[in-house]
Order: sequence, then structure tokens, then C-alpha cells
Amino acid sequence: MKLIEAGRYVPVPQRVIAVLWISFLMAGAATMVFFAAIDPMQLKNCVDFPEVGRTAAYSIGFLLFWLLTAASSLFTTLLLYPGAPANAPDNSSRPSR
Amino acid sequence: MLAPATPAGDEVQQSLYAKRQKIYPREVHGLFAVLRISAVLTLLGIFYGLPWLRWNGHQAVLFDLPARKFHLFGLTLWPQDFILLAALLIIAALGLFFFTALAGRLWCGYACPQTVWTEVFLWMEHALEGDRLQQMKLDKSPMTWRKFRIKASKHALWLAFSAFTGFTFVAYFTPVADLLHRLVTLDLGPWETFWLVFYGFATYGNAGWMREQVCLYMCPYARFQSAMFDDSTLIISYDDKRGEPRGSRKRGTDSLRAGLGDCIDCSMCVQVCPTGIDIRKGLQYECIGCAACIDACNDVMDKMGYAPGLIRYTTHNALRGRPSSILRPRLFVYGGLLSAAIAAFAWILLARVPLELEVMHDRNRLYRETDAGLIENVYTLDIVNMDDRRHAYTLRAEGIEGLIVETDPPEIEADAGEMKKIPMRLRADGARLSGRSNKVRLLLTARDDPRLTASEETRFLGP
Repeated sequence: MKLIEAGRYVPVPQRVIAVLWISFLMAGAATMVFFAAIDPMQLKNCVDFPEVGRTAAYSIGFLLFWLLTAASSLFTTLLLYPGAPANAPDNSSRPSR
Repeated sequence: MLAPATPAGDEVQQSLYAKRQKIYPREVHGLFAVLRISAVLTLLGIFYGLPWLRWNGHQAVLFDLPARKFHLFGLTLWPQDFILLAALLIIAALGLFFFTALAGRLWCGYACPQTVWTEVFLWMEHALEGDRLQQMKLDKSPMTWRKFRIKASKHALWLAFSAFTGFTFVAYFTPVADLLHRLVTLDLGPWETFWLVFYGFATYGNAGWMREQVCLYMCPYARFQSAMFDDSTLIISYDDKRGEPRGSRKRGTDSLRAGLGDCIDCSMCVQVCPTGIDIRKGLQYECIGCAACIDACNDVMDKMGYAPGLIRYTTHNALRGRPSSILRPRLFVYGGLLSAAIAAFAWILLARVPLELEVMHDRNRLYRETDAGLIENVYTLDIVNMDDRRHAYTLRAEGIEGLIVETDPPEIEADAGEMKKIPMRLRADGARLSGRSNKVRLLLTARDDPRLTASEETRFLGP
């Protein structure tokens, strides 16, 4: 309980950027490692995948990785966010407006 | 992280972030400004110039992702060389540890792309909007035709520079001459267009709008760099013993006689700070180590006739009057690890043989007997010439006496970067076999360079 009380309210834009930016970096690293080991042209033989060139495959792969890492970061922030009732009389963890 | 939260603290964070005050860093001149500008010009010169550099008839640095090859001057790297990239990243990380332990956030102050591009965007802003006071006045004034013109031309300049940056970024992955031609003829591929716009827009947003907020709210390094600090790290510090009590005074006043410290409270150090902090409050995570406050303060000290260095690179130990040595175990450990990683990288690079050989035994038939009574096995060779010139090779087989090697074609040759599949037959006298399965080693050697040798083990099967 103490931990939640100590948790600071982090403004929404800052949370959005923290989620998107760090997951962007991690997606970049994942893309590099993944495609260094696996040629998308060979991957195409195993799975039914639309006909695309390597550049497109790398880009789509990166965006998919980003989606994945961003989802992970997003759920982490949601779990860390204090779950105080919205209509509590003294909701001091949010700034008064 | 467990610091008690107060509503006041939240409001500070809120105002700094969502409703932040725009920071107008004042221009500085001095030793560290010269260092920073040199770093900016060098790094940007490399970034924008490198794609245009040619080497042996091809682009000197090209990450040819569609062909899965990296060209770095005379070197061609393949996905098989991934370990080099991993080693390079380890070197970069250890280098960051080493320099952070030595002198704080050198990376942030002089080399980080965020710093470098923000600096250039500030120059453009300064050129069009004037100095700090003129910029503040312009922003406060109501919208007029003049204000609109200045703002519009600033954003047009920023956007043009960002687009050029995005173009340069894509030119590391697509040959630059070809890219330029297709850009002019409006024939860019969808993904090239996407990355050009993406990178250009990121530059415009980060260097034009976000600026210090990237360092404050987005940068993970800003948060964990303190782990590499200790009391002997050179950091930018305000010498409070010398400076306090601060106070304004006439030029040439003797501080001691006036009962004051050397800080004249002119707030120049705050005005020049790109993250808008007051270094006199001590080391803060917002400080990116750009040393602009050192330059500004030294300038003021000079005008007042005081000694420079009221704000300077120094260690916490030195400020507290404790014995302090910059050369300490932590630095040797980081330095040792860094040297080891660099040595390993160099070794991998030098020992790298740009030739690959793989052998596959024919799956359909284990062996057959020839008309001459010899035992024959059939294989397929996979040869990759990873060098950047053509080679002819000799193939030898060891392990069984009198082993005969035959390939189709008999002469094995491969162009630069060529992958070849070559059928091979091995024949041996059945009497010389030691059993049903015999170990055979194949050696492929370039005729013009015996160091280019690849070897592979396989099995020769008999009755």
C-alpha cells in the first residue's frame, strides 16, 4: 500500500513516450538479431506469407516487433499505475485540476 | 523512486512536461563551446558525407539489407559475421561505462545525436529569430505578418534540413546515386519513402520541438548513468565553498571584504543551460554535461576580475577537500574490459576467412561401385565467396589413401559474393576403407591466397 501511495502520477504524454520510445529501441535490437539469423526469403518457404521483398519484410518485421514490445511496456505501466478509485474524496496521487 | 510525492512535486513535473516552459538557451562562447561545435561539425560531416564516399567502384559504406551484405570500405560483412556486430555493441557499451566513470556524461554533452541535431536546430533558430531575448519577445508578441513569416521560414528550414537528414539515413541502405535519381523522378519505393519520412519527422520533432525533454523523459541512459558514477568522477560542479554567499555587487569589489562569495548571482549559468537547470543546486539528473555553464561563468569571472573555475569539471572528493585520484580501480576495470573487447573484435576481424564451405552427402544413395571396382560417394558442395574479388580454388580431400576428387565443373571459381552449389564425387579403393563409415576432411583453398582456406569434415560410406 505504501508503494502505491509513494508512486507519483506521471502525465499521459510522458507515459506514452516512455512506452513507445523504449519499445522502439528494443524492437530495433530484436529486428537486428532476428534477421541476422533468419533470411525472410527462407521464412517465406515455411509460412504462408504474402509475396514481399526483403526490405518490406524487414520493415514489417520491425513494426511487428515494435507492436509486441510496446504492448509489453504498456501492460507494465498499467500494472504499476495506482489503482485508486476515481471518485475517492481525497485522491492525492493525482494533481488537482 | 520511493521519495514521498507531494502535490507540489507533481505540478513541477507537469509544468516541465506537458505545459512546459520553452527553454531559450543563451548562446555561449568559450573553450567547451568550441569543443562542442567541433564535435557537432565532425559528427554531422561524417553522417552526411559518408554515403557519398566511394571505394573501389562501390559506395564505401552501404548496409545492403536486400542483399544481406554490409559493405564497409574494403570489407564485406555477411549475416555469418553477426558476432562482429555483437562485439561492436559490447565495445560501445563498455566505452560508455569507461567515459562515464571518467568524466560523467561526455556522450550526452558532445556526441549524442540528440545534442548534435538540437545544436544545429538552435543555430537555425538563432539565425532567423535572433538571440535569446529577441526570441522570447517574438514568442510573447501577438501574431503579426512579420512573426508569421519568421516562424514559417524557420519551420520550412527545419523541415528541409530534416528531409535531407531522412534522405541521408536511407542512403545508408540504398545506393545514394540511385536513391537521388529515383527521388527526383518521384520513383521511390514505399518503404524507402516510409523510412525517409519517419527519420526526417523524428529529427524535426526531436531536435525542433522536444529537445531537452528527450533527455529528461525519454533517455534511459540519463537514469542509469549514476550507477557508473562515484566520488572521483569528473563532473561539472559549482564550487559552493567559493561561491557562497552569492550576491550582486559592483565590478571589482573584493568579495571577502563585502562578505560575499564569488558568485555574483547573475544567473548566466541558468540562462545558457539547455535543460534549464541551476547547476548551483548540485548535480542533477537533468544535467547533460554540455559545460555551457562553465563557459558562461568563466566569462563572467573574467569580467569581474575573479579567477575562473567557479563552475568547473571536478570531483566530489576534491570539492569536499578529500584526497582524490581520478585513476582508481573502477576505471582500470572498465578500461581493462574495454581493451579486451577491442582486442577480441580485432582478432575476430583479422582471423576471419571470407570463404565458406559446406558439404552435404547425397541422400538417395549411400555409395555405389564403379566399373573400375572403386567405391564412389556423391556430395553437394555449398561454396560462398565472401571476399570482394573473384577467386579460383583448389579442392583437396584427406583421410583415405588414394582418394580421388572429382567436381563438376573441374575448375571451381566464384565471383565476389557468389554462392555456388557444386556436385562432387569421391572415389576410393574399397580395400583402403577402415569400415562402413570413414572420416574425410575437405580443404578448399584459393589459388592466389593460401590463407583463404575453408575446411569441412564429412563421411565417406562403404560396404
